[in-house]
Formats: sequence, structure tokens, C-alpha cells
Amino acid sequence: MTPASNEHSIEISLPSKIGYERIAIASSAALAKMGGVPAARIEDLKSAVAEACINAMQHGNQWRLEARVVVHMNLSEDRVVISVTDQGSGVSEVPEYPGITKIIEENISPRGLGVFLIQQLVDEVRYNQTVDGGHTMTMEIRLPK
Amino acid sequence: MTQANEIVLKQLGDITLLDIRGDITILSESFLNDAYADANNQGAGKILLKFEKEAYINSGGISVLIQLLAKTEQNNQTIGIIGLSDHFTKIFNMVGITKFAKIYKTREDALKAMS
Repeated sequence: MTPASNEHSIEISLPSKIGYERIAIASSAALAKMGGVPAARIEDLKSAVAEACINAMQHGNQWRLEARVVVHMNLSEDRVVISVTDQGSGVSEVPEYPGITKIIEENISPRGLGVFLIQQLVDEVRYNQTVDGGHTMTMEIRLPK
Repeated sequence: MTQANEIVLKQLGDITLLDIRGDITILSESFLNDAYADANNQGAGKILLKFEKEAYINSGGISVLIQLLAKTEQNNQTIGIIGLSDHFTKIFNMVGITKFAKIYKTREDALKAMS
């Protein structure tokens, strides 16, 4: 699925290396600010974008440095839409966050936390598989009316 | 691109303060674990984690904190947290960290409540 593009669209391509998600965080925050998104919601968006990028680097691209994470950002009249696409070969789904009590009491790995946070922090999340086997996570934050 | 951690241990009466400088990510794991081990070896019963308000914290860092809380539960230690921004206070609530550690607005509030 190709995201809609207009004069308010930005696309960046990141290496699958921890730390580079900050480029996407800063860019999406700047775009959201231009759109009038309240400061608290920009913080939500920054965390969601960070988690989506890390998820794509880790689970989609399996930290392969040559595999890219493409972040497409679009500002429209009523929403900010960010899509994060990996280059596949990794798993398409991560385990559900089991909750902290279960993690601590049963001594299990805290997996699925990033996707859990994304689901909590944005207004809508969609998942798609790309034609070349990658995955796209699309997140929306609606602008205040 | 990730800000390096520095963790300074201070003893405030019977409370051990872990003053955590820098971002909290998966790369913080060894710093946090080493600082906790030092505090634990000194017999700490009450530990106050102080974060920087502008720190970047992601799920990798939160996972490290959860694993640290698992250790403090096993060792029957009381944990307090200060220095979080409103955003990360909300996130710590979302993931359930506040079931195992109490977040305080100020260091004074924490010291008063934990003493």
C-alpha cells in the first residue's frame, strides 16, 4: 500500500541500527507540531514512532544493517499519518505483551511491549504486508477539531 | 547516537538513590544492572531511581527496568521513582510499573514517603 503523498508528505529511509529511530522521531514531531497537534499528543507520537521503527529494525529486518526502514509521514487537515515499512524476512507478528505481573511473577521475557505501547498511544494502528514480503505499520493521530 | 549512561549512587539515610543520567534503552542494561548490584551488595532495602526529565526512554529500556523490578521483588526491596516527565509517568502507568514501584513528583516527597 502506497501512502498518500502531497506537499505535506515526508519520507525518510533509515538503516536498521538502534539510535537511528531518533531521526524519525524528530521529523514526525516537527510535522505534528506544524499541524497543531497538542504537545502531549506529540510526545505520544514520538514514543509510538520510536517503537514502530525499533520493531521494524528488530523483528522485520532482524538488525540487518543493509535492510532499510522507510518512514512515510503525512499531514492532512484532520490527522497525522505515519507509516513504517521494513524489508521483511523477519517475523510479521510479535507476541502479545503479557503484562508486568505475569512477567515478574512467572519470570518471563517482557516481549511485545513496543506494539502494546503503540496501540495505547495513537488513535489508530493498521498492519499490512508489502508485495515484496515486508511489513508496514501505519499509525494515525487525529488533530483536534 | 544514544546518550551514554552514568549512574551515581548516593545514600540518603536508609534510602539508596540511583541517580541515572542519560537515556534508558536496551543499551542501559549493563549500567542499570551493575548499579543495582552495587546497591544490593550494600544491603539496600529502599531504592530510589532518579531519571532525567528529558531522557529518552523506549520499550527496550522499560524492559530492562521491569527485569530490575523482578529482582527487587525477589529481594523484598521498596522502589521509588522520581524525575519522570508527565509523558513517561503515563507510560510507566500504562505498562504497570506503578504496581511494583511508586512514582513521586519530587525527591522530598519520595524521601518523606519512603523513610
